[in-house]
Amino acid sequence: MSRALLRSVLELRTPITLLPPAFLLPMPIRLGATSTAAARRFFNQTAQIIEPVPQPPPAATPSPSSSVSAQAQEHLETTFTRESETTTPTTPSTPLDESVRTLLPLLAAQPGHYVTIHIHGRPYLVTEGDSIRLPFKMPGAEPGDILRLNRASVVGSRDYTLQGAPYVDERLFTCRAVVTGTESEPMRVVVKKKRRTRRTTHKFSKLRFTMLRISEVKISDVKEIEG
Amino acid sequence: MTVKALQTLTTGRNGVGAFILQCKKMDIHYCDWAGSSKGMNGFIKSILPKFAAANPQIEFVVSPRPSKHPVVIGHYINGREKAICVRNLEPLQILKKVELLRDASGEKLRKVNKPVQSVNESVRGVWSPYHGNGMAV
Repeated sequence: MSRALLRSVLELRTPITLLPPAFLLPMPIRLGATSTAAARRFFNQTAQIIEPVPQPPPAATPSPSSSVSAQAQEHLETTFTRESETTTPTTPSTPLDESVRTLLPLLAAQPGHYVTIHIHGRPYLVTEGDSIRLPFKMPGAEPGDILRLNRASVVGSRDYTLQGAPYVDERLFTCRAVVTGTESEPMRVVVKKKRRTRRTTHKFSKLRFTMLRISEVKISDVKEIEG
Repeated sequence: MTVKALQTLTTGRNGVGAFILQCKKMDIHYCDWAGSSKGMNGFIKSILPKFAAANPQIEFVVSPRPSKHPVVIGHYINGREKAICVRNLEPLQILKKVELLRDASGEKLRKVNKPVQSVNESVRGVWSPYHGNGMAV
């Protein structure tokens, strides 16, 4: 009896099955989507940067259940801001250049758009619907997460190109990507062998890659930017 | 030569619009008696309820497989399946394997050299020597 008890205790022993207290979590816990997301996040052990979901102002009509369900429908949005040191952050008060103000509507009016986004300094020329296989496994990214990619060096259409120096103003476009999962490559085998020696060792490695799907490429309206 | 109709087939682009997780079902097999299933039994007791609640898109099937090693099998929308033997693993190690099966797309592993895959037409078109102002030689 005691052995069985001990064994069941040993089986249940998992060091971090409980969430840390709320003040230790990387994001504030709120009702609805965020708390469930926090519970989901426990399964990936890395802390992450999560854009706060805009909280609707307390409306006069008391309908808490509907607002919570509406929040649950919203996707969790993650901003990819790990290389923010490369450019100075643009404040909303920065006026747009005159050429951008005149030519951006022409660029937006053309049907197809492409963006050269930069992730960890590497450029990827994408259009809407493309899939990217990142050369690394993004820590903490789960399938279904939405990333907002805000570093782009080029935004263009068929006849117009907006070139950033080095990056395009992030107010001018919106590029979102959905994390579709993690893929890997076939196992690599490297044979290590020294000359005049029979001994060989085989080294195995298998890299993991995060897959993204570009779900949205949108050029902003100049009037909306200037308010 | 016969005249053939143009074939245009739509290609699935998961994530544009709706996102659907590719893993649809996970079979989890354990043994009550065997020592290699010890970690699996702990996983089923302590971690699996939370993991299943956090992933409502996946159907979890837990069934005994007496006197065999514990196995996790993921079934995918494209009809393929992936099986991982988790003998002698701790519950948290099994959690990593289960996460791997959840995040996988079900496709066969292959080496890819180009990072971006696209089915769209080129935005700027294909360069032609017969159009435009021509090149000065």
